[in-house]
Amino acid sequence: MSKTDLPDAKAMLDSRGLYDGPTIHSMNPLLLMEKIIRERIIDSMYWKEQAWGLNAATLLDRAVELQFIGGQYANQKPTPFICLILKMLQLNPEREILLEYILDEDFKYLRVLAAFYIRLAWPAAEIYKTLEPLMKDYRKIKLRTQAGYKLTFVDEFIDDLLTKERVCDIALPRMPTRAQLEDLDELEPREPLVSDVDSDEEGGEGEGGEDREEGEMMEE
Amino acid sequence: MSKPKGVYDNAATGDTAFRRTWDREEYAQKAAERQSREAKERKERYEAKLAGKKYIPKSEIDVNASASEAKFDDSKMVEARRDRIRLDENLNKVQIVPLGTTGGRRGRGAGYYCEACDLNFTNSLEYVEHLNSKQHLNAIGQTDVVERATLEMVRERLAWLKQKKQEQDKAEEFDLAKRLVERRRVEEQERLEKKERKRIKKEETRTRKAQVATETSGHVGEVDGDAAIMARMMGFGGFSSTKAR
Repeated sequence: MSKTDLPDAKAMLDSRGLYDGPTIHSMNPLLLMEKIIRERIIDSMYWKEQAWGLNAATLLDRAVELQFIGGQYANQKPTPFICLILKMLQLNPEREILLEYILDEDFKYLRVLAAFYIRLAWPAAEIYKTLEPLMKDYRKIKLRTQAGYKLTFVDEFIDDLLTKERVCDIALPRMPTRAQLEDLDELEPREPLVSDVDSDEEGGEGEGGEDREEGEMMEE
Repeated sequence: MSKPKGVYDNAATGDTAFRRTWDREEYAQKAAERQSREAKERKERYEAKLAGKKYIPKSEIDVNASASEAKFDDSKMVEARRDRIRLDENLNKVQIVPLGTTGGRRGRGAGYYCEACDLNFTNSLEYVEHLNSKQHLNAIGQTDVVERATLEMVRERLAWLKQKKQEQDKAEEFDLAKRLVERRRVEEQERLEKKERKRIKKEETRTRKAQVATETSGHVGEVDGDAAIMARMMGFGGFSSTKAR
């Protein structure tokens, strides 16, 4: 991979000639976002001012400042969240960098940003393996829609990513369900995060431990 | 007899001071240089044609070479903006705009001005687009490429941001008792200062009253000398009657 990035998406969206840049799902990554919202993003002030010239490291500055997630709000304005998603599609960060983003505990909006990107860009089995562990994160996040703000949670958002077709006004790439992947032996059956019924019956110890952990998560 | 001067010849009024003045000699020299250069080029072109070759201007070769060198030597890679662009910097301010800047972007005018490129923009979007453009980046000696971040850079940045966040959180915490003590101290100081001011004022009025009293009793002339005599002559010797006694 080249050692430099471009400050904006102009060159990657140049439709003259054949596209020969990096690809995701064997297509131009920027085309994973529909044309209409992509153009709104590229025309937006946030994209031109704040998202210009970012790389995978400086993108963190903007990601930790995020106050809400969402696709479009008010009069079909793109949210900073969706602008940064387009930026990540343009930058195409390496796998390790994305894991660094997603495993960080301090910044919840950075985590959902990375989760959304992973859902767009990675192969299905990897998506399930990486995102499912995040379901134990119960922190609140703000979702901004055309109608206004809505409260949601990190685990709820992750679940939406794994099960819904449209999230944040973007059609997600089609992905086989978990059951289908299990049938193909690409995935092991899911280990539930909450302790199952058997261990509950065995004694109060396991349950108590689980409760305490949950409590800690809620405090954050 | 001298010719009558026109209105605009009068330098003293400064009516036409805003107009640009031209250094005629400099431009004559420039024109001569250009003419000689073109003549040389014509000659070279003619000779190349006679020899059956394609003529490539020398200047073009030089420019291309130096541009590519510059791209890799002197110019810096673009970095993300550290701060927001302050688009409302001149909001609610009165600006003096030079005369004769009505059309075109060149030169300072009303709106957003780019120092490096000497261009003026009438709206913020155009201005920001200009700041992102190749033209502007060339002018400030940058290339339009961004350094690609490595995993180390990402880790460093994240650690730095975490530290920054912790410091911010710490700054937001405050100790109520400490603040109360501080506030009490400030209030006490203010009270003392007020008292002192009052005392000084009282003293002043007392001395003034005493002075007036001595004046009316007729001893002032000897005490203040000429100044008091002059003051009384001008009619402001004191607040009592100024009638001759």
